[in-house]
Amino acid sequence: MVTLGHFLLLAGILLAIGLYGVLTRRNLIAVLMSVEILLNAAALAFVSVAAYRDPHLFAGQIFALFIIVVAAAELSIGFAILLNVYRTHGVVDSDAISEMRG
Amino acid sequence: MSLTAFYLLAVFIIAFAVVAVTATNMVRAAFSLAVTFFLIAGLYLMLGSPTLAAIQFMVNASAIPIMTLFIIMMTQSRTTPTPRLWQMVLGFIAAAAVLGFLRAAVEHGESQTTAASTAVLGEGLLSAALLPFEVASVLLLLAMVGAIALARRRAG
Repeated sequence: MVTLGHFLLLAGILLAIGLYGVLTRRNLIAVLMSVEILLNAAALAFVSVAAYRDPHLFAGQIFALFIIVVAAAELSIGFAILLNVYRTHGVVDSDAISEMRG
Repeated sequence: MSLTAFYLLAVFIIAFAVVAVTATNMVRAAFSLAVTFFLIAGLYLMLGSPTLAAIQFMVNASAIPIMTLFIIMMTQSRTTPTPRLWQMVLGFIAAAAVLGFLRAAVEHGESQTTAASTAVLGEGLLSAALLPFEVASVLLLLAMVGAIALARRRAG
C-alpha cells in the first residue's frame, strides 16, 4: 500500500536534488532548471497531502496549480533576463556576471 | 494503487532528476528535466487528479522544456562547466541537511486517497480561490509583457 509518507519522502528527495543543482550549477540556465525541480517537488508535496488528508479536495490541488503558474511566469522572465546577460557578456555563466557594472 | 508502480515511477524520477542537475550537456539535461516532469504527471494520476496531470503534461513537460531548449540554443550554452569542488561539497551538505530535516515525513502512514474530479477542482477554483485565480491571470499577462519587453532587441 502506498502511503502519504512515500510521496512526501519522494518530494523531499526531489527537493534535495534540486537544491544540489542550484548550488553546484555554474550555467544560469541550468540553475533555473534546478529551481524548476524545487518548485515541482513542492507541488508534489501539496498534491499528495491534498489527496490523502483534504476533505474538501481542492485547496492543495489549487496550490499546486498556482505553483505551476508562478513557475512558468518566473521562468519566462528569468530567461528574458538571461538573454540580456548573453547580449552584454557573451556568456550566461554565474562567474561572468560577478561584478555589478559589467 | 500498487506499490510496484510507485517505486518504478520514483526510481525513474530520481534518476532523470539527477541527470538533469549533473549532466554537462545542457540539451541532455533539458530533455531529462522533461522526462522527470512527465513522470511526475504519472504520480498525479496515481494520486487521483487527472486534471493536474494534464496541466503538468502540457505546461511543465512540454512548454517549459521547449522554452529551455530555445534559450540554450540562443545563448549557445550547450555545455556547462563542471562544478568546483567546494560547490559540490556545499551541495552535498545542503542536500543531506534537507533529507535530514525531512526524514520524519515517512511517518505519515495514511493510505486512503480521495480522487479529485475536474468538476470539483473547477468549482473550487472559481468560488473559493477566485481572487488568486484572477491575480494569477494578471501575473501571467505581466510576465508575458515583461519577457517581451526585456528580450526585445533595442533599436540602435
